[in-house]
Amino acid sequence: MLSITRRVGERIVIGDNIVLHVQEVSGSTVRIGIEAPRAMPVYREEIWLAVKEENAAAARAGVDLPRGPLKPPEAQGDSPSS
Amino acid sequence: MTMTVQSTRFGTIEIEAEAVLTFPHGLIGLGGSRYALLSTDADSPFSWLHSVEDPDLALPVTRPWQFFPDFELMMSDAEAAALGLSEDAPADIWVTVRANENVNDVTVNLRAPIVVASRAWGPEAFQVINDAPLAAVRAPLFAAGDTDGSV
Repeated sequence: MLSITRRVGERIVIGDNIVLHVQEVSGSTVRIGIEAPRAMPVYREEIWLAVKEENAAAARAGVDLPRGPLKPPEAQGDSPSS
Repeated sequence: MTMTVQSTRFGTIEIEAEAVLTFPHGLIGLGGSRYALLSTDADSPFSWLHSVEDPDLALPVTRPWQFFPDFELMMSDAEAAALGLSEDAPADIWVTVRANENVNDVTVNLRAPIVVASRAWGPEAFQVINDAPLAAVRAPLFAAGDTDGSV
């Protein structure tokens, strides 16, 4: 991993069309502005990881999905059969 | 014009070529950019988002309001503009379903819904991050009506 030290107001350029702006530093929080082409989505890492995991989990579903509207267990007369 | 798609779950499927969804950014963490929405069970609230490139790759999806009447999709104006989404051209919204464990543990991802926009060249879809405060990555269906699904 490349590590670069910047001051507020300075920038990092990645390739020819991605620019990171160090906009503000406050305590242990840094505000970063990101310029990137439309084709390149930008995510907070923890969200990206969580969604990646959910997508992978969803894709593991077998053919048989739960049927019908799902209700809380106490509202059901019989327990659902799998 | 129909096209044939192979599916390890459903065999050979015929779909309308014009209905194939193109995901310019793909689905987060998953390969492929072209998917079809399939309804394999008319009685089910779930459909399938099925890759037209990978026979094994398919995700169950559903309409968020089916289970969460208060569901709200919030994103910044800048992001909506970057994706070509506007309130003048409402888009279809789907959420992925995690349904491979105990039937009591089914959850949907309200935090990263799939938005399908109609373009002149065909449907274009994006998996977007929802800024709405109570949008959980794993919202239990059994808590439908209770929007405090926290993860």
